[in-house]
Amino acid sequence: MAAVPQVPMRRRAAWLVVAAVAALASGWSAKALAERSSTADEYARLKPSRFEDAHRIISIIPATTEMLFAMGAGDRLVAVGSYDRFPAAVEQLPRVGALLDPNVERILSLRPDLVILYGTQSDLRTQLDRARVAYFPYVHRGLPDITATIRALGDRVGVAAAATGLADAIDKQLGDVRARVAGAARPKTLLVFGRETGTLRNIEASGGVGFLHDMLEAAGGVDVLADLKQQSVTLSTEVVLARAPEVIIELRYARGDTTAASDLRAWNALASVPAVKNRRVLLLQGEEFVVPGPRVGAATERMARALHPERFK
Amino acid sequence: MTIAGFGALTLVVCVAAPLVGATAIHLSRVFDRTIPFADNVDAQVFFVARLPRVLAAILVGSSLAVAGVVFQAFLRNPLASPDTLGLSTGATLGAVIVITFHIDTAVLGISAVPIASFLGAAIALGIVYAMSIARRHGTSTTVLLLAGVALSAFFGALNRLIQVLGDFTDTFRSIRWMMGSLDVGSYTDVVVSFVPIAAALVAVATLPRVLDLVSLGAAAAESRGVDVRRAERLALVSASVLTGSAVSLGGPIPFVGIIVPHIVRLIVGADHRLVLPAAALFGGTFLVLCDLLARTVFGAGGMPVGAVTALLGGPFFLWLLFRRFR
Amino acid sequence: MTLLEANDVSFEYERGGARVLDRVSLRVPRGGIVGLLGPNGSGKTTLLRLLSGTLAPASGGVVLDGRSIAAMPRREIARRIAVVPQETHSAFDFTALEIVMMGRYPHLGAFELEGGADLAIAREALAATGTTALQARRFATLSGGEKQRVVIASALAQASDVLLLDEPTASLDLGFQLDVAALLARLNTERGVTMVVSTHDLNLAAALCGSLVMLRAGHVIAAGDTRSVLTSCNVRALYGVDAEVVHHPRARHLTVVPLARAE
Repeated sequence: MAAVPQVPMRRRAAWLVVAAVAALASGWSAKALAERSSTADEYARLKPSRFEDAHRIISIIPATTEMLFAMGAGDRLVAVGSYDRFPAAVEQLPRVGALLDPNVERILSLRPDLVILYGTQSDLRTQLDRARVAYFPYVHRGLPDITATIRALGDRVGVAAAATGLADAIDKQLGDVRARVAGAARPKTLLVFGRETGTLRNIEASGGVGFLHDMLEAAGGVDVLADLKQQSVTLSTEVVLARAPEVIIELRYARGDTTAASDLRAWNALASVPAVKNRRVLLLQGEEFVVPGPRVGAATERMARALHPERFK
Repeated sequence: MTIAGFGALTLVVCVAAPLVGATAIHLSRVFDRTIPFADNVDAQVFFVARLPRVLAAILVGSSLAVAGVVFQAFLRNPLASPDTLGLSTGATLGAVIVITFHIDTAVLGISAVPIASFLGAAIALGIVYAMSIARRHGTSTTVLLLAGVALSAFFGALNRLIQVLGDFTDTFRSIRWMMGSLDVGSYTDVVVSFVPIAAALVAVATLPRVLDLVSLGAAAAESRGVDVRRAERLALVSASVLTGSAVSLGGPIPFVGIIVPHIVRLIVGADHRLVLPAAALFGGTFLVLCDLLARTVFGAGGMPVGAVTALLGGPFFLWLLFRRFR
Repeated sequence: MTLLEANDVSFEYERGGARVLDRVSLRVPRGGIVGLLGPNGSGKTTLLRLLSGTLAPASGGVVLDGRSIAAMPRREIARRIAVVPQETHSAFDFTALEIVMMGRYPHLGAFELEGGADLAIAREALAATGTTALQARRFATLSGGEKQRVVIASALAQASDVLLLDEPTASLDLGFQLDVAALLARLNTERGVTMVVSTHDLNLAAALCGSLVMLRAGHVIAAGDTRSVLTSCNVRALYGVDAEVVHHPRARHLTVVPLARAE
């Protein structure tokens, strides 16, 4: 076989590797930079200098849909997203997709004057810009962002008073819960929001950031994965055994899920975990644990009751 | 390196693997009978978290590697794999349907997902095989290959369609499943999978000479006395049982079925009487090592074992192609 | 004494499709070499496949030593009939010796491994074809001529009575063509191997074969003794080519010299 010149090939390969690493590094640092600004700053930055109250609103995010209804602006919604479930009135409204598959045609055909979308949906934003439709980018990271969003949204839509009332009520509810559990011993808790049914594979749990983690802290628990700065962590059984949580809370959002309670049996395989030994594997069902919306106060209280039943007699 | 060498390597790796991991454990505590099992964290890590995982890795790795060898011989293509005939995609479709439509019933203590994925692989094989024997004169490898590619694409599209029908969490669960996981946490799954895998391995053990002959072509094999149609049936069914069981136990872990047969052939040559047992042994070892990396090196979250095999396998596969076609 | 015969065999690749062979009969005498001649698409390869039992005829039958091969199990057929195909491709890196050893398969029991005797037979086959020096080489790296000789050795290792060869010299250079022809002649005289050789090479057929069968469009147009069948008239009927057929004094067999396309 004739000798193939090796050097140019290797140099090309080296450049490819350098380019790939540079691309990854720049993407990662851009992301890191973005996360440093706070939600309130972002809303302030994005708020248009002049705007009119919105009366034909489309919200493709379950959280903001709930917020609008809770602020008394539910009648202004003309369409919702695919995953919106609460309140019951959303069933009457047309659906226009969600994070991954927004139906731009349908959205525009409904002639909205405000579209609430995820901050990361840049394609949709570009298209709405072109069509000169105003939008409200939803950004959310932790518990405080919920009330910040309610206030900003209420302001934008034109129901600032109701929004402030709602946000204050939530803040008060959270404050009450914190007060109730103050001073109680805070158990190391594993907050699980997903796993393969019937087994302990692919356990998804809350890490040290995000609204679930914040809820847990407010409810008087300590996230056993607090040192992992991710919203969602996939765990193996070994890690659960090593971290030995004192309480395991499983979150299921489907209310109609009747098998969930018996499925908790799967945890018995990890007999040395304190939560299993002391039978503190708890189940909390409801969408309020998945949707960082206005029901978060009630959700936090439910969590606190589960963790510290003695404080709620 | 001989078969005995492979065997020794497998033994060493399998004994050592449960001892290594992200959590430090003490062997003395693990086997200390005075501590009740329910209180012995070290023993639990060893016997509940790690040992079933290592056993599952051996079964899955072994099955996928042997299935890869069989497919490569019958399709006369060293780049074939258990998924060339669409079996992994079929298995994935079964799992995705169960996950998306919340068919959470368990049968005899086995959850629905493994059962559905096994059925999916079986159906894929049935379709591909039926299509290829529709021709009068035995199967044609070209038709088998084309049918497999088409079926793989079709099932893949169905997968995506069904995921769109489900909601976000179901889609996420499906994606997680597709990345593979050997964290079985119990011996039930391992024992249940062991039965069909052992049976299929025994069946394949009757075929090494036939695989040699068939790799020269169906006509060449027949002229040397091989009943190609019967051998093909046995081989394809066995390899599909292996693939289906492996995928239902650990998810569709990629590249094991391609890399391991190649590495083994580089070491022991092309004779299937050596390649088959070596692949069975080395396949298990390889996956145990990949899983070790997956659960130890990447922090508390770990990495899905399928990602590790892909990280190793992708570049290896490219290198193989490069070597073959320059 | 006829060892192998095809009686009125017909074959079509698709039901109701064109007949590739139409009521063809052929007799192979024990210890003889029969040449099968015909243009591309005449059905030579199909006929060889019918003779080896790989394909089943739509009508008619193939008889080996008085028994219909349709009733014989595949292994038994393989012990009596070996095939040297036109080309052999190996998907994997087998050595030449491993390829030759594969010829021992029909003689092994279900779980039997090859033994010393089998290895000896394989080695002998390599020696007979002059390929002993190649035994440890990878088959895929051999030249066309070397590959063909190794495949013949593999067929020899089957220790069969009959050898069916499909265009054995097609891709070989002149030197190897002569080598293979000499090898086949030697196997026939020294070991009494019966052969059917399908070929385009009329001179090879003239040198090697005692009798010829001419096949055109699935029909036999001439069959019999080489001397009587190989005439310029038959060559024109078979290939549409005007040729002179002479007895060459030094080659000591008939030689065909093609002249021009016939009108």
